[in-house]
Amino acid sequence: MLAYNIRLAGLSFRRNPALTAMMMGAIATGIAAAIITITLYHARSGNPIWWKADKLYAVTMDTRSDDKNERDFSPNPEYPPFQLTHRDAEFLSRSDIPLRKARMFKSSFIVTPTKAGMKPFRRVSRVTSADFFPMFDVPFKFGAAWTRVQDEGPEAVVVLSQDINEKLFNGENSVGKSVTLDGKDFRVIGVLDYWMPQPKFYDLNNSAFDISEGFYIPFGWTVPLEIRSNGNMNCVGKGVKISSFHDLLTADCVWQQFWAEFADQTQRARFQQFVDSYVADQKKLGRFPRPLNNRIVDVDTWMEMNNVVGDDSRMQVALALMFLVVCILNTLGLTLAKFLGAASITGLRRALGAKRKDIVQQHLTEVVLLSFAGGVLGLILAFFGLKGVRALLYTPFVDMNVQQSAEVGRLLTHIDITMVLAALAISIVTGVLAGLYPSWRIGRSPPAAFLKT
Amino acid sequence: MIEMRAIGKSFRTDLVQTNALRELNLKINAGEFVSITGPSGSGKTTFLNVTGLLEEFDSGTYILDGSDVSKLSDDKRSDIRNQKIGFIFQSFNLIPDLNVADNVDVPLRYRRMNAAERNRRVAAALERVGLASRSKHLPAQLSGGQQQRVAIARALAGDPRVILADEPTGNLDTTMSLQVMELLEAINAAGTTIVMVTHNPELAVRAHRNVHIIDGRLSENAVPASSSGDSNGFESTTLDQKVIPIREHADARL
Repeated sequence: MLAYNIRLAGLSFRRNPALTAMMMGAIATGIAAAIITITLYHARSGNPIWWKADKLYAVTMDTRSDDKNERDFSPNPEYPPFQLTHRDAEFLSRSDIPLRKARMFKSSFIVTPTKAGMKPFRRVSRVTSADFFPMFDVPFKFGAAWTRVQDEGPEAVVVLSQDINEKLFNGENSVGKSVTLDGKDFRVIGVLDYWMPQPKFYDLNNSAFDISEGFYIPFGWTVPLEIRSNGNMNCVGKGVKISSFHDLLTADCVWQQFWAEFADQTQRARFQQFVDSYVADQKKLGRFPRPLNNRIVDVDTWMEMNNVVGDDSRMQVALALMFLVVCILNTLGLTLAKFLGAASITGLRRALGAKRKDIVQQHLTEVVLLSFAGGVLGLILAFFGLKGVRALLYTPFVDMNVQQSAEVGRLLTHIDITMVLAALAISIVTGVLAGLYPSWRIGRSPPAAFLKT
Repeated sequence: MIEMRAIGKSFRTDLVQTNALRELNLKINAGEFVSITGPSGSGKTTFLNVTGLLEEFDSGTYILDGSDVSKLSDDKRSDIRNQKIGFIFQSFNLIPDLNVADNVDVPLRYRRMNAAERNRRVAAALERVGLASRSKHLPAQLSGGQQQRVAIARALAGDPRVILADEPTGNLDTTMSLQVMELLEAINAAGTTIVMVTHNPELAVRAHRNVHIIDGRLSENAVPASSSGDSNGFESTTLDQKVIPIREHADARL
């Protein structure tokens, strides 16, 4: 009977193409709006390193003074600052409890290219520990990351991003070649493959949706080269003066991020104890006046604390879903009108022996097919809608060139297979919801009610 | 074949109750050709709807082909309509976007027959009504008489025990009416019981028996009026109606 019902649905569509188009349009619009907002929400809220959801943790400590009037360092006064001071990060990095650990900060260097005709340019970079790469599963195209020994040396090595390698060395294997950053030569030790996690979970300070850095150099160079952060920095207390790099290293100013990877929860608990003990000791020295508030949080919690997905995004999804409901109700009304318009044929079918369930199945098949077609159309609309969103909202990001911001936009507005399947599933559910009552209603009608005699 | 005992059927709106059938008793034997006549509004269509299990009735007993069908579920009634009853309507009631063969095929679909058996039956039914060559035509491409013959083929395809025809020639000219009537007579001669509602006295008398309905009651072998009454030769009447008192009306809504 299914094939027969599909055929009848096709005939019904042809019988009333205008009404059919309106119904399909209503469903397509609702689904397109839902897909666009859900895609954006999904891209913003998705954990880009989900496979390490129970392994990776951001480490924070409540360095703030007990002055209640002090400006908060994070969106929620309950949260500790999202970054650590140099000396606290230094202490934590000495712990051998975590499987891996990395401290890092964002900086920028002026690159002096050797390529003929290319002018020096500034590029955002990351100063970080050796574990950064294996901890975040960063893919390499050529070479490898530096070791802990090279980090502590420190050795003048650098890892290039794919796009920088493309720019400076035309994408060729540049391992062993030299790059000049802020006047100092670094030997290329590795080149990354394409890597642009969105949100950029490991450093959410400036923007959750930012390009990855162009250069990565060992953290050990921070002090010798007096590399300053190019990201956020907050200092405890009023009127703190940082007159030298040494002041920066010793003051209670937070500017470094600290991440740890644990083999299991026991390891994590041990590290929490380690951090708490450290803070307890520091309290004796007059630091950390507030109650213990050291948080070691996974990536999902970290993104939530950083308000990566704001209430406005959730509101947009809620509104889009409400709009979908309105479209479903609209389709329901149109469906009912369409079915009642053809009620005499239904009455005839009932007279000729169709059971109620036959009528319900026939009409439900029609609405589900129509909704499915509406879902496909909705996906096409969503595709172009997201292209529009990309063009309007994501060009350009701060510090990005057009190509880079387009790439971030592409990542954020990309419809993946999950979303395609979800759209089609939503369209079928929409069809069932919009068609169930009209189908039931027409199926319940006594055969003689609409039969033309 | 059909036995009705004290069948009662009324329609009720908020203010008016209309008794369409009142204590109706009727027996039709297998193989009979019975014509049903009566003035407009006398209850003929209601009678046919009840006989065809298209409508439920309020009181009485209805025996069809030896089985009591008075209190059957909707699904059982559908099965009986599908397997034992063939319908022919005044306005043909063909589905406009299905071709002739597909129209004839409709009742067979609901019998869950396999395609080969359905095709065989459709071809045989169309052959019987002389429209085998028109199987791919749409109803709109046929004349009124041909459309009614398609409807007859549809009724025949399921090999029913009884055919209920509601004014089968009502929309046809005299020549086509006679052709359709001859076809019905041939079907009846082959053993199928036929109950035909008609306004046409000339066609009514060609049946084995004429049953006249007035005010929802039967009056067998009535002689149609020849010159007075409505244009079809029968006097007009209205069904028994009573205005429901306010109190009864209120009770009825409880």
